[in-house]
Amino acid sequence: MTSLSPTADRNPFAAALERLPFLPALLILVVLVVLNGWFEPNSLSYRAITGLVSTYLALMMLAIAQTYVVMAGDIDLSVGATLSLVNVVVIVLMERWGGGGGMVLLACFVGILTGLACGLINGLVVAALRLQAIVATFATSIFFTGVALYVLPVAGTPAPAAFWRTYGGRILEIPFVFWVVAALALLLVLLVRTRLTLQLLAVGDDAQGAFQSGLPVAAIRIKGYVLCGLFAALAALCITGDTASGDPLVGGKMTLYSVAAVVLGGSALSGGKGTVVGSLVGALIIGLINSLVFFVGTPSEWQNLVQGLAILIALMAGVFVGRRVGQ
Amino acid sequence: MTELLIRGARKAYGATLALRRGDFDLKGGEVHVLIGSNGSGKSTLCKIVAGSVKPDAGEVVLNGAPVTIAGPQASRALGIGIFYQELSLAARRTVAENILLPELPATGGLFVNRRELDERAARYIAEFADVAGDGFSADTPVLNLRADQRQLVEIMKALASEAPILIFDEPTSALDRAQVDRFFEILKRLKGEGRAIVFISHRMDEIFAIGDRVTVIRDGETVATSNIAETDPSTVIRQMVGDQGELVAAAAAPAAAPGEARIALQVDRLGGQGFTEISFRVARGEILGFGGLHGQGQSSVLRALFGAASHDAGSVTLDGKPYKAASPRDAIAHGVAYVSGDRSRDGVVQGRPILENVTPIHFLRNRIGLVRPSALKDKADGPLKALKTKFQTIDHPINSLSGGNQQKIVIARWLIDRPDVLLLDDPTKGIDLQAKSDLFALIRQLAAEGMGIVLYSSEDAELLANADRILVFNSGSVTRELRGDERTRYNLYHAAYEAA
Ligand SMILES: Nc1ncnc2c1ncn2[C@@H]1O[C@H](COP(=O)(O)OP(=O)(O)OP(=O)(O)O)[C@@H](O)[C@H]1O
Ligand SMILES: [Mg+2]
Repeated sequence: MTSLSPTADRNPFAAALERLPFLPALLILVVLVVLNGWFEPNSLSYRAITGLVSTYLALMMLAIAQTYVVMAGDIDLSVGATLSLVNVVVIVLMERWGGGGGMVLLACFVGILTGLACGLINGLVVAALRLQAIVATFATSIFFTGVALYVLPVAGTPAPAAFWRTYGGRILEIPFVFWVVAALALLLVLLVRTRLTLQLLAVGDDAQGAFQSGLPVAAIRIKGYVLCGLFAALAALCITGDTASGDPLVGGKMTLYSVAAVVLGGSALSGGKGTVVGSLVGALIIGLINSLVFFVGTPSEWQNLVQGLAILIALMAGVFVGRRVGQ
Repeated sequence: MTELLIRGARKAYGATLALRRGDFDLKGGEVHVLIGSNGSGKSTLCKIVAGSVKPDAGEVVLNGAPVTIAGPQASRALGIGIFYQELSLAARRTVAENILLPELPATGGLFVNRRELDERAARYIAEFADVAGDGFSADTPVLNLRADQRQLVEIMKALASEAPILIFDEPTSALDRAQVDRFFEILKRLKGEGRAIVFISHRMDEIFAIGDRVTVIRDGETVATSNIAETDPSTVIRQMVGDQGELVAAAAAPAAAPGEARIALQVDRLGGQGFTEISFRVARGEILGFGGLHGQGQSSVLRALFGAASHDAGSVTLDGKPYKAASPRDAIAHGVAYVSGDRSRDGVVQGRPILENVTPIHFLRNRIGLVRPSALKDKADGPLKALKTKFQTIDHPINSLSGGNQQKIVIARWLIDRPDVLLLDDPTKGIDLQAKSDLFALIRQLAAEGMGIVLYSSEDAELLANADRILVFNSGSVTRELRGDERTRYNLYHAAYEAA
């Protein structure tokens, strides 16, 4: 029972890694940026980076969403479906209410409420009814997709110009998406300092211990899901801006990408260990891999295969660096 | 003045009755010791008061008013703080965060107030600053701490509740002398402030050093409460043991005293992680028992002998020849067998047929590569029959069997090719009475056929009934050997509870 292994002199890298588990991911990101620049010098231009960010901002948001449930040892397989639902709700409302500025904002607001509601449903199903997170959210994902298909049966309704022009445009000469990134950074800095983040991580570490300590474990997990719903809704607004149309199935493929981004970012799916910064980096890694696959001129029929291999390699590299440094 | 009464608390987990009838009263300004052997229900009683276990029956009266404790939060709100034996720490959070986890100071109810968190945590850390040892600071993740340091964090967490009622369930089991002394100073101060304190420990000297009253619990029932000043260790042990304490165990001692030539296993001054200076001999035909409180090094010694853990001092001879197992594979090749009660970790190959679970040792010892299944089935059949194993067909997966029958399979695999030495590491964990008695009949028979057997059991009754000699372990060394008529429950407890 008593382990007397001394832990005093640990190497400084290991300590840094403990605090900033996303360091290996950051390393991989740098390598990818260099590779991208090597194969396509233009990819490092201001324009290209703006494009990259506006395309992958949705995935970044979705990875953040996933992080808040993974922290507590849960998972949400319905983030993609939530995103789709919010996307079609916003598109349909904007079409009904006309494309005026105020109406667009109101539609976005309703979209966010929709995301929160999806999160709340997931939270109740998982934490209050105590169903297995992975199965329960798989079920709700089918349900949310069903609702999305009811709201907008076929893809295609375009977003009003006011919406996508803003998303793709500039404010004070700075692309709108960069303003979003800055606001996001501020929001994340605030969220990191909340009591909820710490409680989510404590629950993920040892749910039984947290319960015995007197933490309201169910309420904490529900809040994690609600936060997840919020960011999934924000992701939906980004994708609506990027694609400028409604698609009831747009998010389906993104769910597991968000999980992959979270893991690439150094979070543990078993909970207790996770940073939103890591997940952001993870999402960018996936984005850069996709563009790299394109830049090296992979024939289209091979793109999926190469992309999958590259993600696997990135995952292994992350684990390898983590182990090496952690010793 | 605080006063807590518990009347007739009862809790069953399925068929196990963890707590039969818990009666306990606690007053402000006292340290009330709760003592009882492993599994007697102490932790269960504490958890009921802390709200983390719901009792099946019984009532709790706080300051004259009956209360229902709905959960850990409710318990805290009633002014009860607890140290959990198995700890309740978040491994990746820092010391400071863990200390205040139940009530994180927050600005606007939203953001963690780091300044206040650090200040408040520092107060409790300061109490133990000079005894906590290296690498202990407010911002160390609990993951990086030693076992004793983790226990200190859990103590600080309990203290930080600043509750009028404090429960400490074995807070000192990993602490060193200086840490215990500091903890006791704090307890005395809290007692002076009028707090009511429950203290659990298996160390008799600690109990008499800090306690004001002592309640003894035996088989889930609180049997006596006395003032410390009016009792003594022998009386307490007698109360823990009950009526049958003086009965001599029934195990048949080997017919003749084992001669030098018949020694199967001889261990000289073995030392390693969790044990030191262990010396003993096992004769062929003998069952040597390992006893004492849980986790005093018994399993570690057995695992070291089987090559599953390393040892760094001492020597072992097997049938007169030097023996050092580098790995379990090595041990098996030398004819040493090991059966653990932890079937899922050490024993069965989950999801695979019974046949495959019976035969791996046969493969290993005979270096067989390919076999005809039918030949193998014949070989497996005998041992399974001998053990009265109940199964549908030998091709059914092992998971289809009850725990007791799974354990029989694990033992059967050693019987196709007989080992010389059989190490049993708490082999009957979670198996029923019938299976147990079958198992021990078989073990006795194996001994009679010339095997040397070492048996560690966490159940004292089982040990007394089946071992010819008993070595009592305490803090990693053997403190007493019980032979012949000395093998009584009283003597066993006495040796186990002696100050190390
Ligand atoms: N969650 C559980 N599920 C099943 N059985 C349990 C559970 N908790 C405790 N038990 C059983 O209840 C009995 C009493 O356990 P308890 O933990 O209260 O003993 P204890 O007196 O604290 O022992 P120790 O000195 O070893 O800590 C034991 O037989 C134990 O195996
Ligand atoms: Mg206990």
